[in-house]
Amino acid sequence: MLLEALEQEGVDLIFGYPGGANLPIYQRLPDHPKLRHILVRHEQGAAHMADGYARACGRPGVVFATSGPGALNLVTGLCTAYMDSVPMIAITGQVNSTQVGRDAFQESDVIGATASVTKHSYLVTHISQLPRVVHEAFHIATTGRPGPVLIDICKDVQMAEAEPIARERVNIPGYHLNGHVNLDSAQIAAAALANAEQPVILAGHGVLLSHAEQALLDLAEKAGVPVGTTLLGIGGFPVNHPLSLHMTGFMGTGWCLKAVQNADVLMMVGMRVDDRVTARLEDFAPKVKTFIHVDIDGSEMGKNVRPHIELVADARNALEAILPHIDSVHEGRGAWLTQIDAWREEHPLRYTHSNGHLQPQDVLIDMYKRCRNEAVVVADVGQNQIWAALWWNYDRPGLFINSGGAGTMGFALPAAIGAKFARPDLDVWCVAGEGGFVMTAQELSVAVEHQLDIKIVLLNNFSLGMVRQFQDDFYGGVRSQVELTHIPDFVKLADAYGLPGVRVDKLADVGPAMDAAQRTKGPFLIDFRIDPEANVYPIVPLGKSLNDFWEAPVGV
Amino acid sequence: MLSVLVEDGSNTLTKVAGMIRRRGFHVRAITVGPSGEPGRSRMTLQIDAGHAEVDQVRKQLERLVEVVEIEDLTEHAVHRRELVVARVAASAVPELVAKGARVLESGSVSTTIEFAGEGDEVGAFVEELRRHGNLDVVRSGPVVMRRTA
Repeated sequence: MLLEALEQEGVDLIFGYPGGANLPIYQRLPDHPKLRHILVRHEQGAAHMADGYARACGRPGVVFATSGPGALNLVTGLCTAYMDSVPMIAITGQVNSTQVGRDAFQESDVIGATASVTKHSYLVTHISQLPRVVHEAFHIATTGRPGPVLIDICKDVQMAEAEPIARERVNIPGYHLNGHVNLDSAQIAAAALANAEQPVILAGHGVLLSHAEQALLDLAEKAGVPVGTTLLGIGGFPVNHPLSLHMTGFMGTGWCLKAVQNADVLMMVGMRVDDRVTARLEDFAPKVKTFIHVDIDGSEMGKNVRPHIELVADARNALEAILPHIDSVHEGRGAWLTQIDAWREEHPLRYTHSNGHLQPQDVLIDMYKRCRNEAVVVADVGQNQIWAALWWNYDRPGLFINSGGAGTMGFALPAAIGAKFARPDLDVWCVAGEGGFVMTAQELSVAVEHQLDIKIVLLNNFSLGMVRQFQDDFYGGVRSQVELTHIPDFVKLADAYGLPGVRVDKLADVGPAMDAAQRTKGPFLIDFRIDPEANVYPIVPLGKSLNDFWEAPVGV
Repeated sequence: MLSVLVEDGSNTLTKVAGMIRRRGFHVRAITVGPSGEPGRSRMTLQIDAGHAEVDQVRKQLERLVEVVEIEDLTEHAVHRRELVVARVAASAVPELVAKGARVLESGSVSTTIEFAGEGDEVGAFVEELRRHGNLDVVRSGPVVMRRTA
């Protein structure tokens, strides 16, 4: 019954792991050849694969896990998807309905444990509920602000029979969608943007989720407004465009932060305006007279920054509604863009070149040359993530996938696997530090088993680099528990899993190693031994305002 | 003060309570009872928004799929009724009855009374009970309805 409903919903791929409480589902799986199942090596891997799959193709990722530990292993992956508004369906086995609450073997309160990291969840104790629940779950996961939905199905229900119901329009009285744009607000927003002397647009993940990239570009060009993106908004605006401010936030570019802090009108599109974007909230964008906030989730209005103009709507619909109302723009606009160009000159991205170590930026610059504006880049969490974000250099919108909200280490490899399943037509690069990589490295088996063409760029500094940098800069220079002196020989590890790997510790070897990776069919790992002291810049010291960003030391 | 229509379900109360805790809000008062619609209950919530803006409470509740409808009654004229049941010494009964209490049960040692009233009246009545050295008191929490005039 469940599997028929999944087929009805158009599912073609499931990431999962069988166990005692979902065996009835697995018993029937071979009867459904249209449902391709990928056996993962840990349930967290399944959740991140489904996440990467969904981010890469827009369809919801589907996960199976058994009860108890199986389901609880999904929690981090659900949280990652929830924080970044990624559509996902997690189907977990639960003990028999008559056993619920008796502390049965492998029983856990999965609904309770996942309530705060799912958009919605269902406990199915009777077969009559199941057909409706599956269709509701897909509807909720994929509409409005997307998110993960969990369906916990008792084992006796899995064994029961029911007729599938038509996938009619589901009716959920408590679920309201904000798709429509208030046209008056759109007109007011357009006037505010056009009449601004020093406007800035910041774009978040909502731009990618609603496919608003073209609408954003059109609006920016017509209104002559520079655009910065959040970490999750990367890919929503071509970074080499003259109006690009690149990334904002406490590790954003100097010229973007200057622009935000001097803007008189700030439009925030499809973003949560969280602490990583604002730094010290009281000092965020202090000269702004008019905040415009576009987001499909009404609760984002005023959650952190109170907007003067609210558009609770799909980002693309909103931007397309604003566009026709832009006529002439403020005469000071040319001077503003000139000023931004000056800041771009004054605060370029730079890094250390001359200490003899391999620099992570050199590796990434080489990698991005090979991406040719279209490869999917999946980053892990930490310094590797910010370096990959800052050196992203696409001339057009693209796919940069990372765990922004939750900041989940170990995300990159499984998410890259999911992304490759979703987009076999595109090259997939996985950028990770050695710390995060070993957290989910067991999923290499999946990459090898399915001969997925994933190129793993390991930026190995033998330490938890971001934590080390924070300790150096903000915690009195006390290096505590950040040295990873005992990590595997990654070339041997790759060999043990059955994929080729090479080690690179100098600049001259970067290109040849990358060439080898690209020539090789299937997964390939490069262990780049990078400068152990390399830092992320710019960075705003903890608790400070965006004005106070530090830049890389000059002339080293 | 929020009047919230919710779907009956094993998870509804947990979801509402969990959201309130997670967002750093605080429950000042909560009552739940069946609504006029089958399968739905009416919650009356008095919530302190903590460090968040006041409208965040309503907005976060609206995100819950279990929540069908919310009316924010904070700025409105309302009937805010609450029921008190108390066990008091027999000697205190005449004075409390004069203030509007009703006797539910008379015993040899104590008498059980009830009192229903608007928010402030209930507060004053409970003070009065304390003065009389009441033996036991329970309060229902408020139920609220918008005034018609």
